[in-house]
Amino acid sequence: MIKIRNLEKIYRTEEVETVALNKISIDVKEGEFVAIMGPSGCGKSTLLNILGLLDDPDNGSFLFNNIEVANFNERKRADLRKHNIGFVFQSFNLIDELTVFENVELPLIYTGVKSGDRKKRVEEVLDKMQIMHRRNHYPQQLSGGQQQRVAVARAVVNNPKLILADEPTGNLDSSNGNEVMTLLTDLNEQGTTIIMVTHSEHDARYSHRIIRMLDGQTVLENIMV
Amino acid sequence: MLKNYFKTAWRSIVRNKAFSLINIIGLSIGIAASLLLFIVVQYELSYDTFQPNYNRIYRVATQDKFDKDITYNSGIPVPALKALRAEFPQIQFGALQSAYGSQVTVPADKNETGNKFIEETGVFFIEPQLFDVFKYQWLTGSPASLKDPNNVVLDEKTATKYFGTWQQAIGKTVVLDNAITLKVNGILKNTPANSDLPLSVIISYVTLEKCGQSYNHFDTWNTTSSNFNIMALLPPAVKMDDVDRGLLQFSKNHYQPLQSNSIKTNFLQPLSTFHFDRRFASFGDHVTSKSTLLTLSLIGIFIILMACVNFINLATALSVNRSKEVGIRKVLGSNRSQLFGQIMSETAVIVGISILAALGITWAVLPYIKHIASIQEQLSLFTIQNLIMVVSIGIIVTLLAGLYPSLVLSKYNPITALKNKMVTAGVSGVSLRRGLVIMQFTISQVLIIATTVAISQMNFISKAELGFNKEGVLILNGKSDSISLSKQSAFKQQLLQIPGVQSVSFNNDPPSSDNLWSTNFAYNHQPDEKFQISLKFTDADYLKTFGLQLLTGRSPVESDTMREVMINETLVKKLGIKNPNEVIGKVIRIGRNQWYPVVGVVKDFKTSSLREDIKPTLITTRKTFYYCTGIKIRTQQLANTQLAIQKVWNQFYPEYAYSSQFFDENIERFYQQEEQLSLLYKIFAGLAIFISCLGLYGLVSFMAVQKTKEVGIRKVLGASIISLLQLFSKEFTILIIVSFFISVPVAWYMMHSWLNNFVYRIPLSSWFFITAIVSSIAIAWITVGYKAIKAAIANPVKALRSE
Repeated sequence: MIKIRNLEKIYRTEEVETVALNKISIDVKEGEFVAIMGPSGCGKSTLLNILGLLDDPDNGSFLFNNIEVANFNERKRADLRKHNIGFVFQSFNLIDELTVFENVELPLIYTGVKSGDRKKRVEEVLDKMQIMHRRNHYPQQLSGGQQQRVAVARAVVNNPKLILADEPTGNLDSSNGNEVMTLLTDLNEQGTTIIMVTHSEHDARYSHRIIRMLDGQTVLENIMV
Repeated sequence: MLKNYFKTAWRSIVRNKAFSLINIIGLSIGIAASLLLFIVVQYELSYDTFQPNYNRIYRVATQDKFDKDITYNSGIPVPALKALRAEFPQIQFGALQSAYGSQVTVPADKNETGNKFIEETGVFFIEPQLFDVFKYQWLTGSPASLKDPNNVVLDEKTATKYFGTWQQAIGKTVVLDNAITLKVNGILKNTPANSDLPLSVIISYVTLEKCGQSYNHFDTWNTTSSNFNIMALLPPAVKMDDVDRGLLQFSKNHYQPLQSNSIKTNFLQPLSTFHFDRRFASFGDHVTSKSTLLTLSLIGIFIILMACVNFINLATALSVNRSKEVGIRKVLGSNRSQLFGQIMSETAVIVGISILAALGITWAVLPYIKHIASIQEQLSLFTIQNLIMVVSIGIIVTLLAGLYPSLVLSKYNPITALKNKMVTAGVSGVSLRRGLVIMQFTISQVLIIATTVAISQMNFISKAELGFNKEGVLILNGKSDSISLSKQSAFKQQLLQIPGVQSVSFNNDPPSSDNLWSTNFAYNHQPDEKFQISLKFTDADYLKTFGLQLLTGRSPVESDTMREVMINETLVKKLGIKNPNEVIGKVIRIGRNQWYPVVGVVKDFKTSSLREDIKPTLITTRKTFYYCTGIKIRTQQLANTQLAIQKVWNQFYPEYAYSSQFFDENIERFYQQEEQLSLLYKIFAGLAIFISCLGLYGLVSFMAVQKTKEVGIRKVLGASIISLLQLFSKEFTILIIVSFFISVPVAWYMMHSWLNNFVYRIPLSSWFFITAIVSSIAIAWITVGYKAIKAAIANPVKALRSE
């Protein structure tokens, strides 16, 4: 599903040049659950941003479902993103002005799903995430665990092929964290590819494979048994 | 999608209540103010446009070119009518003679003297042909009703006023000025209020054949009165310039043989300029200059711009807080145009709410519009034109206010946006914000300067040394028919018996008025001088009653006819004489009359408004022109004295309605438009300052939140409250100073041109400018102060913990 080769991302200011990704090459197969780990500043988030088509690399190749997307413009990236990729963030990133239902509905609006279908699909996914009873609440009225469940619901509502999770349990206590990890595992079992950046060895153990990074490069890969 | 946009927009407005309120208040006041101004401007521009031949109607006006100046007159000599018809057969002409200030008496059975009505405007002697040029709607009758002498046509409201209903008026008689009996044989629909030729009492023109002299209607090429107008309807193919060329030749043929001291030329004045050209007298209620309308439009546009500036400034400042939302939307697949649409819809929602509020404000304020504009008609807010205007304002304001914030927000990089690293809207955002604040304060300061200059000039006018006493002089409008004149002496004696009356003078005109009776003249057996003099016919008590001061000599002796003359200082100077005593005993001839001795020189007094120079004036006696009675009264027991005067009037002139005004009120009316403009400046300068401060308050509130951490750290390091206040106010102070330097030349140019309308004016001193900068900075500091002090005295520990 994902094949990156010699990918480079360099941040330049007038005086300093920081290599965020240094000719990194990774493959992710469809249906895999991959965890990316490493110390702060090793390039995990940069890699996730590029994989999520939020940022573009300076050099190298990025094949997404065998299509070269490294040089896509913003409009093409947005188009590919909204149909194929779901995101889960550490800080949930829900829109405060929208209710639970409306937050989850948002990706469907952007992909042009009709109102009746949207309602059905949002209700289905809220039900699945067991937050249907909170559908009319605003994010500020929910606990952290509930907010992250909404974020997961929003990530999956479009049935994406790939979910990118950036420290999804970082802001949660262990019990809520476990719940979220279980949700992700369930999704993966149903066929969704998941790439997760984490600092937590505990969370990483839910994945099939751990890629460890340092200074913009992969240094180790652990296959989980 | 659209529903989602509006839903988010509404919730965002509710969430940012304070900022939304600032935007809505600013925009609604701005839109309401502009809407009101646009309604006024639109109304003024609509004058006479209801005439179906609007673009083909002209007045044949007159220009007199003297040695040094040019005078204009809306009138034309009476014989020109016949000559024009003969020499321009392709053009339709129609003539009218105004008789405003007439009394119409409706005979009544119970009331011996009948019901008397003084008609200040709308009374005309009119040819039936005038209705080929101007179209009016007839309820009954037709232009042919005015073919015969002693016929009158009334408009609906006048007919109703006289007879109860217009239907009852037909066939009845009325008496004009106690002399001419007229039969009502036609009724016109009321003339629209936006007309420069409002007709109420229309008497057949041929009636003038017998009574022309009473209305200064002289069938001679030597007299031009603005009361006699000839209107023309040009055929579609005929161009104004071609006719003007013909009129040049016409003027040569008819005026050159008169050997006057000026070159007289007739030319066409288009109907489209009747309402805006202050060089000509108007039969309507007022004339508005196009520059005034332009000023009003500009103020309207500026006020809206200022409100938009607040919106842009607050929206770009707040965009920092919204970066997360923008980031999420981008991550979820929203593209730039969708985000742009969303932010534009938010603007549209705020503008929509503001428009509703603005309509409410306009609706409430519209009835008071007559205080800032010469509009007596009750205007309606809900017209098609206003609706189009409101929608256009809505679209323009949404685009103006929303475009920049939408572009800025939709451009955000989603990763940076999500990390909330958008510290500001970028350097360009800050510079733009500064630029916009400068623009706001430039407009405010221009208006502050304009206001202080206008107020000072109006104060100067009200306190100016006029050379006469305007307080406590009552002016009665009388008649100069032989019966009335015969009673004048006894009337005066009776008035002087009233304890409150100090003196009484009969005259044709008070010392200062906008009437003009001028003529050519010759001095000391020389040929005619190259300038005209203004005439005043008065009795011997004129100087005493109006407090005029004699410079040398004495007043002309009391006489029914002209025997001696007195002149003013300006005339002495214009004759090139340095010592006023030199003119005493010399002779003056006015028009083609005989020579009269000069017996006195009166100290200069303002002969008209302070817009104009003092006119060279000659004062003499001639009883037949004493239309006016000036009564100097003691200010104590004013009401009783007035009542007593009215009683004496009714006793002497039961057939004439009593009508009086105080002289100072007449003088105030000279400056009505200036007073209105001055009031307008006051209101709009206030609004401009309010809107700017509103924006400033919003920005400072935002700054206070942004700088919480900075203030905390500075306090921990030992910063004083004063230094923290400086942190907030320094930038705005600099911006105000920059805007001051931009506003100075603009305001100077604007007010210099305005003051040029007055011959007697205040100097444009630096104090006006200093007041503007000091008051702007003071107001800005007060606005910034509250928020800044609150931030500065907050507990630094709290501030740091909040990070």
